[in-house]
Amino acid sequence: MNQLMPLAMVSPGEVVQVVDVRAGWGFQRRLADMGLTPGVIIRVMNSQRPGPIIIDLRGSRLVLGYGMTQRILVRKV
Amino acid sequence: MAKEIIIALAGNPNSGKTTVFNNLTGARQHVGNWPGVTVEKKEGSCSYNGYSIKVVDLPGVYSLTAYSPDEVIARNFILEEKPDAVVDIVDASNLERNLYLVIQFLEMGARVIVALNMMDEADSRNYRIDVEGLSRLLGAPVVPMVANHNRGTMELFDEIVKVAENKAQVKGLKVEYGREVEEEISKLEKLISQSELSSKYSPRWLAVKLLERDEEIIKKFREVEHG
Repeated sequence: MNQLMPLAMVSPGEVVQVVDVRAGWGFQRRLADMGLTPGVIIRVMNSQRPGPIIIDLRGSRLVLGYGMTQRILVRKV
Repeated sequence: MAKEIIIALAGNPNSGKTTVFNNLTGARQHVGNWPGVTVEKKEGSCSYNGYSIKVVDLPGVYSLTAYSPDEVIARNFILEEKPDAVVDIVDASNLERNLYLVIQFLEMGARVIVALNMMDEADSRNYRIDVEGLSRLLGAPVVPMVANHNRGTMELFDEIVKVAENKAQVKGLKVEYGREVEEEISKLEKLISQSELSSKYSPRWLAVKLLERDEEIIKKFREVEHG
C-alpha cells in the first residue's frame, strides 16, 4: 500500500489517486463540484512549489493554490 | 400574435453556449476560446415556426451552489423566472464532468433539454454515445450537435417547441441518496410542505439544499418565517 501524501508533494507527470480532502465542508463541496472527489485519478501537469499546481482532472485542467494542495491527500498509483 | 417561449442556455464553461446562442438568434456575440467569457446574462430573440423565442444566455458554471455570483445568477434565473425550457449545453467529449450540472437542473425540476455539443470531438476520440439511452436515463430529451458547424440547430429548435408546449416528456430524475439521507429528506419535506416556499419550489429539492447547508436557501427560509 502506497503511502499517503499531500498533493503539494507530487511532482509533475505523476499519476495519483485522491484519498481524502482534509478541509471544511465548503471547500470539500467546492472541489467535489469541480469533480475532485475521493477515489478520482489525477495527473499533476505542472507544479512550482510553493506555487499553484495544475492537474489533469476528468479530462480538463484545474489549477489549485499551494495551500489547497496541502490539504488534499493522495497516493501514487 | 406569435406565442412567446422563454428559454435559458446553460452549461459548463467552454461548452459552446455562446456559439449555440449565436446559432439560435443569429447574433454575433463574441465567442472566446477560453472559459468564463460570459460573465453576465445576455438575451436575444428569434422566431421559429410561428413562435417567438426569447433566449437567455447564462454564465457558464460547473455547479449550482451559492459560491460565486455567476452560479447564483444561473440558479436564480431558473428558479425565479421558470423558463419554458432550459437548454443545457454539454461537451460530449467530456460527458462525466458535464452531466453533473444536468443532474442538478433535473433535481431542481427544470424542464431540461440536453444539447450534446461537440459530437465531432467525441467521435474523433472514438467515443460512442448512446443518445437514446442517455435520454432514457435522464428522463430528458437529448439533441446531438456540432454548434461551431451549426449542426443540430433545427433539431434543437424542434425540441424546444415540443418541451415548451408540453409535447415532450421531461420526466426529470430523482436521485436516491440512500436510506439514512432519504429518511432526513422525507422528514424535512413534511415540514417544508407547510411553508409557503413549497408552492414555488420543489419541496424535495429544498430539503436536499437544506441538508447541504446552502446559504441562499437557508436565507429564503429565514425570510419567509421571520418576515
